[in-house]
Amino acid sequence: MTFAHPWALLAAAGAAALVIALHFIARRRPPTVPFPTARFIPVRSVRAPSRSTRPADLPLLLLRVLALLLLGAAFARPTLDGERRSLARVVALDVSASGSSAREARDSAARYLRAGDLLVVFDSAARLITGDARDSLAVLDTTAMEATHARGSLSAALVAAARTASALGAHADSVELVLVSPLADEEWDAATGAIRSLWPGGARLVRTERTRDSSPVGIEATSAKPASTLDDDPVLVVVETLHDSSARAGARIVRGTPSAADSGWAGGAGRVLVHWPVAAPETWPRRERADTIGAVVAGGAVLVADFARTVAPPGGGRVVARWMDGAPAAVERPLGEGCVREVAIDLPSRGDLALSESARRLVRAMSAPCGGARDLDSLAEARLALLRGGDGGTGGGRPPVRSGEREAGREMPWLLAAAALLLLLELPLRRASAAGEVEGSA
Amino acid sequence: MAPPLMQRDLGPYGTLLDALRGVAWPARRRVRGSVSGTHRSALRGVSPEFTEYRPYRQGDDPRRLDWKLLARTDRASIRVTSDRSTLGTVIALDASASMAFPQPALDKWVQACRVAMGLAAVALAAGDPVGFIVAGANGTRHTALRARRSVLEEGARLFGEVEPAGAEPLVPALAAGGSRRGSRLAIISDFLGDADDLLSLARRRSSAGDEVHAVHVVAREELEPSGATLLAVDPEAPELRRPLAASTRDEYRSAFALWRAELGREWRAAGAAYTEVPTDEDAARAVRRVVGAGTDATPGSAER
Repeated sequence: MTFAHPWALLAAAGAAALVIALHFIARRRPPTVPFPTARFIPVRSVRAPSRSTRPADLPLLLLRVLALLLLGAAFARPTLDGERRSLARVVALDVSASGSSAREARDSAARYLRAGDLLVVFDSAARLITGDARDSLAVLDTTAMEATHARGSLSAALVAAARTASALGAHADSVELVLVSPLADEEWDAATGAIRSLWPGGARLVRTERTRDSSPVGIEATSAKPASTLDDDPVLVVVETLHDSSARAGARIVRGTPSAADSGWAGGAGRVLVHWPVAAPETWPRRERADTIGAVVAGGAVLVADFARTVAPPGGGRVVARWMDGAPAAVERPLGEGCVREVAIDLPSRGDLALSESARRLVRAMSAPCGGARDLDSLAEARLALLRGGDGGTGGGRPPVRSGEREAGREMPWLLAAAALLLLLELPLRRASAAGEVEGSA
Repeated sequence: MAPPLMQRDLGPYGTLLDALRGVAWPARRRVRGSVSGTHRSALRGVSPEFTEYRPYRQGDDPRRLDWKLLARTDRASIRVTSDRSTLGTVIALDASASMAFPQPALDKWVQACRVAMGLAAVALAAGDPVGFIVAGANGTRHTALRARRSVLEEGARLFGEVEPAGAEPLVPALAAGGSRRGSRLAIISDFLGDADDLLSLARRRSSAGDEVHAVHVVAREELEPSGATLLAVDPEAPELRRPLAASTRDEYRSAFALWRAELGREWRAAGAAYTEVPTDEDAARAVRRVVGAGTDATPGSAER
């Protein structure tokens, strides 16, 4: 049994001791008895001392002390929760694409998981693993973890950990957060710092190996046009400026209609087939009214130019580029272990737009690995320090108060009712005791 | 076998009355009554009990001349005889709240009733008419002076109906109850009420030649209070509250004993007989002490 407010018990014990002392030392008013010859008693104080080495009214004393102790126990909010641990852990395991080895991450988490600890698995979303966390961790599908393209979100992990830690708070004095993650920069968002501050105490950071950065991605481009006209294709010009002979070709930009070979190539792991036709196919939806738009945004790239819009990319995929009015400019669909992007952006061929850095960024964004451009740099030291917390990440802390902790003190109403019942019994017992004293003295 | 006469319809007093059979309550002085009884009368007349001769004086009834003695001695002599007369006895009971002690046994009231019934029985046995006066919270109740045996039953019924309460003074009750001169008056009380007025009345009645008996009923708990500390409240004056504790008990005993001694002395000085009757004393023994108090009021001296 544990008590949320042990001071209430101490206060009740003090009050009980005071009552006991009063039963020993109280100057009680003697019982009033008719006595015809009272006039011959010398005139003294009406209140006569009555001290004894034994406490007066033992049943009354026991009842009062019991009522006080019950009141103290009620306000101490006891919890009948069996064994209580000094430290429990919430292990947040990062299974996003930021990690290079799911097995390594799983083993790292297993080192910190003990019986009764909780396991939270997260990538872009977090979920609590119910049941025995160690058993669940052992059967975790590492193959599926490594095949994911989902980005990690530390905010989601922290929110889930704080929520689940409340359940542990009723059974442990302190709860430690263990964050098993590659801690890539892309996993930090604007809310992460504020959410981290909700967790009292420190967090233990266990860094796993980040996935290798695939950039620079080797880009190859094919065109259905004659080679003499290739110089007029701004996309190809940009690709030419980005060409890196040492890089593995991870993206293939097709300016015409993709062949079966292209599709077969795109099904390979980590490959991106960018279908960026010079002339939109008939199958692509035509806009009701052709117009021009001033800018397009893709990932971190913004390209400002006069774009002619006649078609829209086919629907159904993940939007990877948008026009400045919010309309989709490019979509991505998974294909095998890779993906296909269909881009409806007609880069102007006039001017030196193709030579600009913005154009290069746009092409890089369109050629980025499946799931979008990755920022796999390590978190800055300041952010790591914020994650660890004030004591360097070795100490535990109590989780925020949640519904689990409100369950403490469920016995309070019963204890209060018992105390009230005893106090109700106190009055008739006191009267009976007083009547007994009168009879005894008469 | 029929029950003894005394036990008929007398409830708890039967045994007491049987124990008092044969006890006499002689008058302390010659009585003036004209009805023939057992007490020596102040009148000397024609009864056959010869006492003496005295010379004839003018005015004597010539019918009382002893003619044979005149013939033998040639001197006129009057034959003097002693008359016997009855003595009306009025028994007054104090039924104030102080007599209802200790609760709930009411030992003082019970003992007072027993003594009253005993005295009445003794007086009736001598042929004296007996009447009761009870002064309580519900006013004064009394029975007429009668010499019939039913007086005892009336008295038992009267005592059973009265519940001691209030602080009714006894002196007005005596006047209202017809306590007339020339009778014997027995006052049974704890003398915690109108003691001074009663004493004045006793002085007057005693000076007038009446016989007055004061029976002072005292509870054993008043003589020897228990060791418990208590707040004593006078039942007839609730505003009087005194703590009775170990520190005040001895002083209380001394003051109470002094008061009782002074009270006895004053009553005797007034010409009355004073008898103190504790509640734990056998009632028959107490009655014997009262009827013998004319000669010696010391407890135990009335044993016969």
